[in-house]
Amino acid sequence: MKKVSSLSELGFADDIHRTLFRPIQQAAPPSPTQRRTKISVIGAGNVGMAIAQTILTQDLTDELALVDAKPDKLQGEMLDLQHAAAFLPRTRILASPDYAVTVNSDICIITAGARQIPGETRLNLLQRNLALFKEIVPPLARYSPGTLLLVVSNPVDVLTYIAWKLSGFPPNRVIGSGTNLDSSRFRFLLADHLEVNAQDVQAYMVGEHGDSSVALWSSMSVGGVSILSQLTNDKAVVEQGVLEKIRKAVVESAYEVIRLKGYTSWAIGYSAANLARSLLRDQHRIHPVSLLAKGFYGIPDDREVFLSLPAQLGRSGVLSVANIHLTDEEAARLRRSANTLWELQQKLDL
Amino acid sequence: MVSSLVSSASTEARTRTNALAGLSVGLHRRNFGNFHGYVPYLKGTVWISSPLRPQNHFLSLFAYKVGFAGAKADRRSLVSIRSQSEKMKKVSSLTELGFADDVHRALFRPIQQAAPPSPTKRHTKISVIGAGNVGMAIAQTILTQDLTDELALVDAKPDKLRGEMLDLQHAAAFLPRTRILASPDYAVTVDSDICIITAGARQIPGETRLNLLQRNLSLFKEIVPPLARYSPGALLLVVSNPVDVLTYIAWKLSGFPPNRVIGSGTNLDSSRFRFLLADHLEVNAQDVQAYMVGEHGDSSVALWSSISVGGVPILSQFTKDVAAIEQGVLERIRKAVVDSAYEVIRLKGYTSWAIGYSVASLARSLLRDQHRIHPVSLLANGFYGIPDDREVFLSLPAQLGRSGILSVANIQLTEEEAGRLRRSADALWDLQQKLGL
Repeated sequence: MKKVSSLSELGFADDIHRTLFRPIQQAAPPSPTQRRTKISVIGAGNVGMAIAQTILTQDLTDELALVDAKPDKLQGEMLDLQHAAAFLPRTRILASPDYAVTVNSDICIITAGARQIPGETRLNLLQRNLALFKEIVPPLARYSPGTLLLVVSNPVDVLTYIAWKLSGFPPNRVIGSGTNLDSSRFRFLLADHLEVNAQDVQAYMVGEHGDSSVALWSSMSVGGVSILSQLTNDKAVVEQGVLEKIRKAVVESAYEVIRLKGYTSWAIGYSAANLARSLLRDQHRIHPVSLLAKGFYGIPDDREVFLSLPAQLGRSGVLSVANIHLTDEEAARLRRSANTLWELQQKLDL
Repeated sequence: MVSSLVSSASTEARTRTNALAGLSVGLHRRNFGNFHGYVPYLKGTVWISSPLRPQNHFLSLFAYKVGFAGAKADRRSLVSIRSQSEKMKKVSSLTELGFADDVHRALFRPIQQAAPPSPTKRHTKISVIGAGNVGMAIAQTILTQDLTDELALVDAKPDKLRGEMLDLQHAAAFLPRTRILASPDYAVTVDSDICIITAGARQIPGETRLNLLQRNLSLFKEIVPPLARYSPGALLLVVSNPVDVLTYIAWKLSGFPPNRVIGSGTNLDSSRFRFLLADHLEVNAQDVQAYMVGEHGDSSVALWSSISVGGVPILSQFTKDVAAIEQGVLERIRKAVVDSAYEVIRLKGYTSWAIGYSVASLARSLLRDQHRIHPVSLLANGFYGIPDDREVFLSLPAQLGRSGILSVANIQLTEEEAGRLRRSADALWDLQQKLGL
């Protein structure tokens, strides 16, 4: 991945730096302790690059490494980011098809994944992704044994479980982007309708990131005020199953964007960068993310499934899971989500 | 009492210029009852009928919103936007899904005697024309950097456009509240502070430059006049290539004074130049001052004599050095900068991120009146020996602010550099003559 446009290759003297700048007397060499933060993004497609670029714009890290199987595409993307150097704080940008470039990462974000062929069963897609993750996860774990793994590829819940198994990491360090974005879309719809800032709307979608996600209506609040009673006072809302329609609209909004522009990128970019920030900067913020959910909300202890629950995130990953009050209905839906995922996992030969 | 107001939804018709809702300007109606009322605040703006109950204390809030909407946009624009908005109808609007329209009033109450908002508009607005890779990278960077209150997107392809708009809106929980609009209709750009044009025909292999320009001229004839009409005071920022001639074309078609028509020019080339130097010198690129000027393209001019690092001019360092830099090396570096765009295109198919950051940086300097110096494409006649009667646009280091180009920096050029600049100008002038504008 040699830089074609290196000035040394073009004849510029290698030691110009020394004629321009001089160190002070008796300066000690830099301490070997590494304090630079580093994020690696695996997969330089639309999602991976939106995540990488957002992380860069938000100045979240000192080093950014990109990995992809396609070397030309990868180098092109790296150059395109590097060329913006005059407009950004100095972030070191590396790229290579070789996982060695990810060494010592604080966070590794996995966006690589096979796309669903029309007519393909979910199980088959999963088997293909399992094969891919067997190439991705072990080297990542080897080069950065203390890293946090953030899985974005879909179906994210099962793939996060797979990443956990393949890495050998403790479960607090393996997280899936889960319903963090669904919740944002949910909050957007509500905030837009209520004409408030989305950040003042608290509303979680949990469970499977997909068709069986669970909207936690009972814990929705606006500016701290629980609003479910306001909404369900309208008989029409209750009778027409409006709440379920809204949940479905959230689930489908991703498909709508895919249908219209071919893929989604920007929103997931912001979502993942938002998670990266909470993790790296030890923010102790609560995000609905895919995590090892056994033992919570009635999910049996022997069912090792990953699904989204509102969790506190910090530098060591998942710090804790929020203890939110669920209605019986919501808890039941969550457990059904867990069962579905458990059965799918059983069929994989991991 | 509050909850009873929610459950008693009655006939409601109002104009909503709803934030984050795409172009949902239009009338929402739900017939549950027959209350009508004339709202006194709306005299002279927009007549509506409102849900009234005797105990309605929220009338002022209601009028507040509509008065604001009425002041916002020309009535005729609203009508034409609405027809487009039928095609752009939000599938995921909560109102369509049965959510009560007036839940807001159940949750929030205005203070007593609140006045309607002042009609003076203080929102900043940027419009981006073209929702391709470049346009969207620019839009998304502007959004992430929180540069504007409103962002409007225009493209000829309505599905792609709507998909891009939704993809940005879905990130609402992670961003400050920015209103994002999109429409194939230029009315959506009304009252923009800056209009950024990224739309342009791509070069067909084997096509002459003149032919490509003719095709882009036709396209700009559809784009620029409506932009100018809807935002007569806007700054026009042209990004489409070949940027220098297209900025000239945009100037002619808009009728704007030349300080308000700017091309992204060599702003990005200079960044690439500075990146190469900074990377080699192991300094921060922001400490490297280095301009490329002239044509954005093969005949760009690298101003070697004006390169400085941390304030220190470095060309003299080179000539002092025994392994002196030959002229050929300097030219190879300039070519490497020019080629770096082609290299990215060869590798990933197009460029997007760098131009996104570059244009967002220009937008920021303009909108926030930063008085910063950027090499941008501007009306260059009279500068550096370019004849007064040659109306060409090419890049020179210029001070940018809220009213556009404030001034051109007076940089010392060598004879060689000035000569190259004038040759750049000649080439562009000849090309413009053939256009028959």
